[in-house]
Amino acid sequence: MIWVVIVFFIPLITGLVAVFTKNQRQCELCQVAGAGLTLVSAVVVAVEVMGGRPIELWQQIIYIDALGAFNIVLVALVGFIAAVYSVGYLRYDVTEQAISVKHVRFYYLFFHLFILTMLVVSAVNSLGLLWVGIELTTLISAALVAFYGKNNALEAAWKCLIMGSVGIAFALLGVIFIYLSGIQTLGQQSAALNWTSLRAVAGFLNPEWVKIGFIFVLIGFGTKAGLAPMHFWLPDAHSQAPSPVSAVLSGVLLNTALYGLFRVYAIANITLDGQAAEYLVFFGLLSIAFTVPFMVIQHDIKRMLAYSSVEHIGIIALSVGIGGMLGLYGAFLHMFNHSMTKSLLFFSAGTICQQYRSKQMHRISGILKVMPVTGGIFLLAAMAITGAPPFSIFVSEITIMMAGFQTQQVWISTLMVALIVLIFAGMMYYVIKMVFGEAPGKIEPVKFSHWSTTAMIIPLLLVILCGWYIPPVLDHTLYQVAGVLQGVGK
Amino acid sequence: MDWLVSTGLLISTLLLFKINKISDAVGIIAFQSVLLVMVAVIMWHRTGIAHLLVAAGLIFAVKTMFIPAILYYTLGKIDAKKMIKRSYSPHMSLLLATVLLVVGYYVSAELQLPSTFYGKYYLPTSIIVILLGTFIMIEHKEAIMQGLGLIVIENGIFLITQSVSYGMPIIVELGILFGLLVSAIVIAGLAFRIHWAFASLNTDKMQNLKG
Repeated sequence: MIWVVIVFFIPLITGLVAVFTKNQRQCELCQVAGAGLTLVSAVVVAVEVMGGRPIELWQQIIYIDALGAFNIVLVALVGFIAAVYSVGYLRYDVTEQAISVKHVRFYYLFFHLFILTMLVVSAVNSLGLLWVGIELTTLISAALVAFYGKNNALEAAWKCLIMGSVGIAFALLGVIFIYLSGIQTLGQQSAALNWTSLRAVAGFLNPEWVKIGFIFVLIGFGTKAGLAPMHFWLPDAHSQAPSPVSAVLSGVLLNTALYGLFRVYAIANITLDGQAAEYLVFFGLLSIAFTVPFMVIQHDIKRMLAYSSVEHIGIIALSVGIGGMLGLYGAFLHMFNHSMTKSLLFFSAGTICQQYRSKQMHRISGILKVMPVTGGIFLLAAMAITGAPPFSIFVSEITIMMAGFQTQQVWISTLMVALIVLIFAGMMYYVIKMVFGEAPGKIEPVKFSHWSTTAMIIPLLLVILCGWYIPPVLDHTLYQVAGVLQGVGK
Repeated sequence: MDWLVSTGLLISTLLLFKINKISDAVGIIAFQSVLLVMVAVIMWHRTGIAHLLVAAGLIFAVKTMFIPAILYYTLGKIDAKKMIKRSYSPHMSLLLATVLLVVGYYVSAELQLPSTFYGKYYLPTSIIVILLGTFIMIEHKEAIMQGLGLIVIENGIFLITQSVSYGMPIIVELGILFGLLVSAIVIAGLAFRIHWAFASLNTDKMQNLKG
């Protein structure tokens, strides 16, 4: 139990200590140490959950099963590597006088509060509290997107705030409808809003309420997750936020919104006898298809990566919709792989943008010559994200494709693969133009902090390793996570 | 009593399409929140569920006092006499809002959802308020009016929670109200920074990010 308390308190304390520490180096060391401790305590909690039963605390307010523990570790892991990367990234901004040391301290406060809200979402039993957590992620992420305070950043933050808030207002309506169906079955008690109670009686809930509730939640949390056609806030926010924040937004915020959606899906798909899965398949495919034209017309490197996130969130939703043990296993493997690969891409892209002083792709060329290490990592990560072998995403996409074949949904798998191939072509066209070729004459190599490079080691190793071999600990975890949603299909 | 509160909520929402000053809109939002407090008290009186009374107190503190105070403070910092800019004329806006009112009433009647006994009267009102709140967000150009539209949507949702479901578990109510309070602070803070950066609250000026 103590580790559950620690996992929540460390980000809060880290953020508060960081904002009150006036010395920049001490502030940085403190926040990196805090992020590291958060990761350690998250892993301890996950080990406890995976080794035994779900953790239930404080009259079931806290409920952490394999799915929750998986998301907690993912949030803490991406949070840690983004915290390390932030040090070098923000030092450069301070050197360039783009921001002051005071800004840096507030950045770390909001960054760790942001991590805290995502951890809370993954650990609560009540769908109402889960909603509150997702609402808070929206508010804090808007503040982080507006960090630079420039016109474009404010525009992106406003869109993120308004679209996100409207979306989750509708999600709250959906949660209320599901609560009403819970009251009908369980009586007027607070347990009628708990996921565990609702899941236990899912077969007896009122299908009318649950269907409307699920649709509202799909629209609401789908907006937060970046499912098309509710994704329009996402490219703006991800392109304007500082790169480590973009990595956290793409790498785990979208997962956290999907986590909320999957919790409700686990109830609704039982009540609706498999009908909810069809919605996930539809919106998943739509998201992948939407990405194709936007990938081709992009000029901004970070917007391109953001659209790639829309694609991958679509793939995860599609895979859960396909269902079966293989589909669910593939979905969560893909979630893990996407988090690692996209973090790596945003880190390398962030450093590239600082070197070239631009996010416009037509101004970036010859990366390999100007910055061989970062350029090499960027090329490798770009190949990985587009599903090229032998990297991790290739493995999860093949798993999802096989799941479609196995469940007789051949056309879905075929369409998914065809769209992924188109996205691969569109994205690699720009990547090759940027990575190879001659560098612009005026570029002078900048010496970047070793913190920025160090942060890329963990995701880089995992992207390569999981392309060849899934470690038993990850394999075992994914089976347990898939087990939480297994059995909710027809 | 139900009739009076519902009518008050609908008329106050429709008034938002007629007024010309942003500061008046904040007053209307505060008035709506008082009506929500009344709904919670009415439901407590009928059902005897004690936490509805606690919810009424919390709604009063957060939605009637703190949120309007934050918005008035922000308007004071920007320009309290700011006039509302709409996509349509006030008459056209009111006409479209009335059409939405009829549509909302028709949709809620067609839903035929099972609902709890005492609160079913409020379901159509809630749906209409949510629809009108969405329309306010689409129709208004000022950042802060879009934020107020969001609060109207939340008021519609709160009406459902207080009436149809007799409130929510108290810890959830607390969480939701805390979220709303933070959201008002962020909306106000961001609106202030937008005004500072663009010398205007008009969201038409924020059209740089596309594609």
